[in-house]
Amino acid sequence: MIGLLREKLLEVLQVVAPLILSVCVLQFTIVHAPTALFVQFLIGSVLAIVGMLLLFVGIDLGVVPMGKFVGAELPKKGSILLIITVAFSIAFVTTMPEPDVLVLSTQVDEASNGAIAGRTVLYVISLGLAMLAAIAMARIVFGWSMRYLLAAAYLLALGLAFFAPPQFVPLAFDGGSVTTGVLSAPVIIAVAIGVSSVLAGRSAVSDGFGLVGFASIGPIIAILLMGLLRA
Amino acid sequence: MNSTWIDEIIGTAHGVTIAVTPLIVVFLIFQVFLLRLPLRQVADILKGTAIAAVGLFLFLVGVAIAFLPFGRAIGAALGSMQNVWMAVVIAALLGFVTAWGEPAVRILANQVEEASNGSIRKAPVLYTICIGVAIWVGIGMLRISESIPLLYLLVPGYGLVIVLLWLSSKEFVSIAVDAGGVATGPLANSLLLALALGASSAVGNGDQVVNGFGLVALIALAPVMSLMMLGMLIRLKTRK
Repeated sequence: MIGLLREKLLEVLQVVAPLILSVCVLQFTIVHAPTALFVQFLIGSVLAIVGMLLLFVGIDLGVVPMGKFVGAELPKKGSILLIITVAFSIAFVTTMPEPDVLVLSTQVDEASNGAIAGRTVLYVISLGLAMLAAIAMARIVFGWSMRYLLAAAYLLALGLAFFAPPQFVPLAFDGGSVTTGVLSAPVIIAVAIGVSSVLAGRSAVSDGFGLVGFASIGPIIAILLMGLLRA
Repeated sequence: MNSTWIDEIIGTAHGVTIAVTPLIVVFLIFQVFLLRLPLRQVADILKGTAIAAVGLFLFLVGVAIAFLPFGRAIGAALGSMQNVWMAVVIAALLGFVTAWGEPAVRILANQVEEASNGSIRKAPVLYTICIGVAIWVGIGMLRISESIPLLYLLVPGYGLVIVLLWLSSKEFVSIAVDAGGVATGPLANSLLLALALGASSAVGNGDQVVNGFGLVALIALAPVMSLMMLGMLIRLKTRK
């Protein structure tokens, strides 16, 4: 645990240091925010660093093993329906606590003055991701071509974007890119590798990759549909 | 400590509880019907999840009091600059720095070196991704100050990606689409998201929801494109 903490601390600091440094440089060159806000920034950064550290350690200790156990156990049951159902539910519940997704959903509330409910967006994002994760899992089982699936999903997302109300389009595409984060990605990959390793003639590597990127188109489609339904 | 801080903390705790509970419930259902793991392992998983939940809570409080307000302040400063190009350059530099610090980008660069059997070294991959992100953050900043509709950028962007799907070598397709999420981690995303919202309200060109969102989406498109182009180069190289 101590070794893991040290390793993750290094990782977190490596990400955060350049970011905080650039913010400091900007503060003294162009931003000139009130000192109180700047001090608040420094305090908050410490909290965020400690938070990220615990989050990463917790994911490694608890959430990733969960994904691995599920991935190892699932194919033994031999039911495609079960594999897809489990993939769907695990993708749904690991997207909801994704830090980027939570931040986006609070910002939606604020930027739209409550016109678009952040919590609804949170559920819609998770639902969209889970649907496409389930389709991606079916792809591994049936051996569909990744290129055609990706092209179809991108085209569907772009097509819907032309018809959806304009205030949903940027949000939808932002929603698609925040989802492939620290929590859902390792779990979904663990399940996928578990499933593909048991199926004969499938390469665990090429089946495991691509899945997360494909699944992240789901929230785009889901938020655009939500906009269309509300219009 | 004033009351808004306390509201923030209570609100965040509530949000984390709502977000994490389904994960625990689904795990317990799996445990009963599918996994039947020994109790010790169940306890370990639950302990890990609890640590992650506490971490998530601290992270969100920290982001809410540090990165969101300060991101907005930077965005407001950039949005109210007289010289738009200056703001674009600063935003691009910030994009470069955030991608540069992201460990996932380095892991990806290693992956590419392996997948190409060493014919493409990791350093150029790293630069390609960081420069790609920088360019797109710059374009994103320009979009906000000129209120260019996001679709004008996304349609050609994704159109190019769809074409590259067939031009790029097969192994690269999967690596590239997964790369969308790696360029910016949770902290950078929060900062850039708030920056975009701040800039859009400083520019004052209408709806923040229309102009402020969309920057993160452009950042995610950047590495996908860069890597697929690399994949295309590799395919051309091996064909000779």
